[in-house]
Parts: sequence; C-alpha cells; structure tokens
Amino acid sequence: MMSFWENLGRRVIQMLTAFADTIVFAGKVFIRIFRRKTYSSAMREVLLNQIYFTSVQILPVFLMVSILFGSLLIGIVFQLLKEFGLTGFFGHVLMGLIVTELSPLLTVLLITLRSAAAINTEMAVMKVNREIKTLEMFRIDVIDYLLVPRVINGIISIVLLSSLCSIVLLVSGTLFSWLIFGMSIDVYTNILLNATNFSDILIALFKCAIYGFFITLIPIRFGLRASHELTSIPIVVSQGMVNVFAAILIIEVLSLLTKLL
Amino acid sequence: MNIALIKEYHEDMPRRQAQQLAVEYLERVDLGHIAYKRNPALNPEERFCGMLLRAAMVKDAMILIDQPFKIIPHLKDIQFITTALKKIDDLYLSCHIYDYKWMEEKYGEL
Repeated sequence: MMSFWENLGRRVIQMLTAFADTIVFAGKVFIRIFRRKTYSSAMREVLLNQIYFTSVQILPVFLMVSILFGSLLIGIVFQLLKEFGLTGFFGHVLMGLIVTELSPLLTVLLITLRSAAAINTEMAVMKVNREIKTLEMFRIDVIDYLLVPRVINGIISIVLLSSLCSIVLLVSGTLFSWLIFGMSIDVYTNILLNATNFSDILIALFKCAIYGFFITLIPIRFGLRASHELTSIPIVVSQGMVNVFAAILIIEVLSLLTKLL
Repeated sequence: MNIALIKEYHEDMPRRQAQQLAVEYLERVDLGHIAYKRNPALNPEERFCGMLLRAAMVKDAMILIDQPFKIIPHLKDIQFITTALKKIDDLYLSCHIYDYKWMEEKYGEL
C-alpha cells in the first residue's frame, strides 16, 4: 500500500517538476524574443524559412481542409439551429463558437500534426548528429538561432492561419445561410456585426499566440532531450507530441475559464 | 553554406554577402562546386576543407586539427593539408596539428 502512495507521489512530483521546468524554459525563450541581439542575420534567415515552411507550404492543404471541414460543420450547425428553433442565436453561434473556438482549434491541430512533429524530429536528429554541439562550439546560441525563430514562426503562423480559417468559415456561412435560412448577404453581415464581441476576438487571437508559442516550444524541448543514440528519436518525438496535445487541452480549458470569468 | 553561418551570426553579415565570401574561400581551395552540397554528399577531402574553412571563419581564428589522417584516412602524407592551409593562411592566426607519435612518418619534415 505504501509503495502505491510512494509511486503516486513520485509521479506527481515528476510531473510538477517537468511542468515547472517547461514554464521556466518558456520564460527564457520569451525574454529572448524581445532582445534585439537575438535578431542576427542568420536568425532572420531561419525565421523566414520557417514561416515559409509552416504558413506558405501548407496553404493548399489548409485551405482545402478549412473549406471541406468548415462547410460541413457550418451546414450541420445551421441545420440544427433551424430544427431547434434557435435561429435567433445564429450570429452568436457563428462568432462565439465557430470563429473564436473552432477555427483556432482546427488550425492548431493541423499545424501540430504537420509542423510540431517535424520540429520535434528535426531537433532530435540534430542532437543525435551532434549538430547542436557543433553550433555551441562556434558560440552560436542555440536558443537564439534555433528556438526563437521557430517559436516566433509558431505564433505568427497560428494567428494568421486561424484568421484565414475564420474567413473561410464565414464565407461558407454566407452560402449556407442563403441555402438553409434563405438569408441575403446584407442580413448575414448585419447579424454577424451585431454578434461580434471585440473582447472575444482579442481572446481568440491571444489564445492563438499562446498555442503557437507552446506547440513549437514543447517539441523543441523534447527534441533536445534526445541522447546521442538513434533509438532515442522515436521516444522523444512521441513524448513531445503527447505533451503538445496535453498543452492544447490545458490552453483550451484556460481560455474557456477566462471567458466565463 | 554552413561556413557562411558563422559570419551571419557573429558579425550580422547579410546572407548573400556571407555566402559569397564562403564561396570565394571555397574557390581558393578549388572546391567552389561543393558550396551547396550537404555533408553526406562530400568526400573526405571536401569535408576536411569545409571543416577547415568553417574554423577559419571565426574572428582571429586559431585552428587546431586533431588527427587529420582520421578525417582523410587514405592520405599518404601531410601535403594535401599543408597546401590547403597555405591557401587560406591569411584567414587564421595560428594552426596546431595534434596526432599520435606513431603517425610521425606521415608528417615528414613538418
């Protein structure tokens, strides 16, 4: 019985220590973002490449998924609103649920699956190949050169792609509001403007930035935990991805609490 | 182009300028063609010169070569290395080569 409590206690302490370490590490990276010295020519080049890989290369797939998934979702939601006689809540559902909740979540899931996994593996491979050690030998700060560009890219990409996803959803909403409710564009726009809450949009954008920060920071952190053996790569990648999904859930719950308060 | 990174990072040199400089230095050792190749695509001589130039890109560089014949195992003597070092001798302050005593004969009179 005692060993059960000991094990449980050890696990809890390990979890809390890992959480505290991640927060301290996040603080370190966050401070570097605002340091002018960080933005060397080499770092700016990495940042541009990262933005291209994450935000531009993904565009065709992202737009296709947004259009298909968004249209399907909006169609279902509008149909349900009509069936339950909740047409009056149409604007609030569209802005409050679909634009400020679902599009950031859809975006962060897509970027996590595509880019966070890639970043995690890239860092682990660099560690195994001793490339990180070589950078350190040449006094190239790993945080400035590798971490900060990826984290900034995460923030920029999630904010921009989530906004794009919202626009796609609102455009498909125009079509479905006309098909299901027989609503003209003018009426649709008017309802949307009346339902728009500026603070909700700010919270959504802030949430996207937090998502972007952590879905790049956590994979980097776990990737750098790889040892010098190839077998450590799949271990750190799977640990990193599990932790990223846990972080997404925590951020989602925290944003919901912020809205309720 | 990893050679260019040192200048880009430490001296905030624009990417194009740093890459031009790296290509220019590679051409000095007759290896301009390897500028855009990755490490696994290089032969031992090319890899050695890449590492040498990368070390020389640091300001007031002091180069230390540890067991060069381990990097280029098929070399019969030190001539290739001394020739490469001579071609870039304005880029570093000093160079030291360390190796085991039993490799002495490969170094000749050096």
